[in-house]
Amino acid sequence: MIWTIALRNVVKNARRSLTTGLAIGVGGLAALLFAGFVTSIWYGVQTSMIQQQGNLQVYRNGYLEFGAANPDEYTIKDWDRVVSLLAADPMLAEELAVITPRIDLAGVAGNAETGNSKTFIGSGVVPAEIDAMSGWDGWQIGQVTPASGLAGGGPDSVIVGVGMARMMGLCGALNVADCSDRPVDAADLAGEEQDFSALVAEESGLADQSLGNDQPQLNLMAATSSGVPNIARVVIEAAEPQAIRAVDNAFVMMHFEQARSLLYGDSQEATALMLQVANPERVDAVKTRVAEVLDQAGLDLGVYHFTEVDPTFDRIFGMFTFMFIVVSAVLAIVIVFTIVNTISMTVVERVKEIGTIRALGFRKGFVRALFLTESVIIGMIGAAIALGSAVVLSNLVNASGLQWTPPSNATPLTVQLMVLDNPVFTAAVVGALVFLAMLAAVLPTFKAANLNIVESLQRA
Amino acid sequence: MNSAYNPPFEHDAHIGSFAPLVEEPVVRFQNLTKTYRMDRVQVTALANVSGVIAKAETTFVTGPSGSGKSTLLNIIGMLDQPSSGTLTILDQDVSRLSDRDAADFRARHIGFVFQSFNLIPVLSLRENVEFPLLNRKIASRARRAKAMEYLDAVGLAEFVDRRPGEISGGQRQRVAIARALVTEPTMVIADEPTANLDTKTSRDIIALLDRMKSELSTSIVICTHDTSLITPASAVINIVDGQTAQE
Repeated sequence: MIWTIALRNVVKNARRSLTTGLAIGVGGLAALLFAGFVTSIWYGVQTSMIQQQGNLQVYRNGYLEFGAANPDEYTIKDWDRVVSLLAADPMLAEELAVITPRIDLAGVAGNAETGNSKTFIGSGVVPAEIDAMSGWDGWQIGQVTPASGLAGGGPDSVIVGVGMARMMGLCGALNVADCSDRPVDAADLAGEEQDFSALVAEESGLADQSLGNDQPQLNLMAATSSGVPNIARVVIEAAEPQAIRAVDNAFVMMHFEQARSLLYGDSQEATALMLQVANPERVDAVKTRVAEVLDQAGLDLGVYHFTEVDPTFDRIFGMFTFMFIVVSAVLAIVIVFTIVNTISMTVVERVKEIGTIRALGFRKGFVRALFLTESVIIGMIGAAIALGSAVVLSNLVNASGLQWTPPSNATPLTVQLMVLDNPVFTAAVVGALVFLAMLAAVLPTFKAANLNIVESLQRA
Repeated sequence: MNSAYNPPFEHDAHIGSFAPLVEEPVVRFQNLTKTYRMDRVQVTALANVSGVIAKAETTFVTGPSGSGKSTLLNIIGMLDQPSSGTLTILDQDVSRLSDRDAADFRARHIGFVFQSFNLIPVLSLRENVEFPLLNRKIASRARRAKAMEYLDAVGLAEFVDRRPGEISGGQRQRVAIARALVTEPTMVIADEPTANLDTKTSRDIIALLDRMKSELSTSIVICTHDTSLITPASAVINIVDGQTAQE
């Protein structure tokens, strides 16, 4: 009967109950939409990063700590045998969608036609395998990353950052949107940049490579593992923006074999192996198994989750989670004050009823339970308003095709407010609303229960 | 504690020609005193009041406004505690029970009828009568049946689904009486139960209480300033200036 009394009192004070429910609902709506956005970030940014670098990466032990200072000391020797080893394991063969090598390199890029040169940082990848990785959609969120464009070119083709194209004075030649060539003042170039056209000229065969090819070209010079400068002439397939300006200004992505021959000659070395796990829920199990296989083979290699290698995702997600907590805390305070006000007014209006109930032999706990139940009902109304309106609004936003660019991406992602995609989280928000409503009512209900019976009965 | 109790009560509680002999008192109170502090002044609402309430009898507590009769009723009804003195109900000293124990005792032994009915407005008449039975471990169907029985007894069986706001004052007080009696208490406390009713309805209500008292062997304590309502064979406790007054 407590529920009957509580429900009827909520209905009796319909306007007040609805106003309070709306206040809770609006607060809950904001929390749910924000939670939906954070969920979207969690899935979207992870998907984006997994599409680019896989869920797991294999490095030579010590690379993450010391490899930047001396990358050649920390390469994976005979990478192709390591790939074969992993692919031969039945469990990994089933779980791994892609195993592909990558070489990270740096050097100096020059364009003989424009007379520009500057340092570059780049990577050598297997285009077909990179493109296969970009189609990963383990959480089935429909997020598509376009293929790199590297596969369409020959083995000498490269993709450069838009900033790199601008620095090289190739915006016009590459038809890059929102990019204009400016004359490059030698004084603006970094100190280590140098015109190595003379060195290029000395390399036999390089001049011939450009013959008959109208596409813009770059000369890339890097030091081999033995410290000898090596040069390759590459054809720029396209310029694609990169997420970080400093990277964009120096980015060159090339074929793995091109990078390998530039740095290591005939030696089968790679900086890392990128492993893409088909089912994201199985990543930890796969990681454990990869570590076991590498260990059993006596290889000095370690396997890392991509977030261990690149903390960007954790930072982005951490930032938005913190924002969610702050926003939720503010909303919670508003909700609590609204509920406290409503229940306090209800208590004041029903002092005589409280006195009567107590006189009839009901303990204080009954009075508390009665008003807490009312508060819970109002909280449930608010939660229903929040959930219903969040579903409607999120569908509208999702259908509108709004886009945003996370810090880790160069290209925008479509905003998907995933309100119902994380049922546990959604249930937690809804539960939190009801719990807040109940929590906020504790103080007024205790006051109600502690009212003096005789004084309560004397109220008009 | 009971051994400390020392009658005679008859001198205090049963006054004038209406006073019968008290064969079986269910309530005994001795030297009840209640003082309040109002601002900086100490006010004595009751001073050394003693008496008994007999089983299955109607006892009227009378006196002018502000005399302390409601204070006495509140103490007898265990809604308030005396500043000093003892209250014994069914041979149990209940003067200093904890709030929780007092609530449980009220639920078992005391029914209340209030001046302004005090029905719960959002409940139907049947639900209002059923309400005190929530304190008992009774199945809902049995609760409903019992509530119906008592509503029938007070002549309101046909209005069971109405809300208190949909019936007259006299009918509301009948519902309140049914609610007070449905737990079959030892005693019903009625504080000015007719104050908001017209003369005829008032007499009907008193008659109803009197009839129910006889049928259920329940003691009825009625506080009123209207002495014309006092029925023959009833006991009377007359309170004047916080003390029992001889007539």
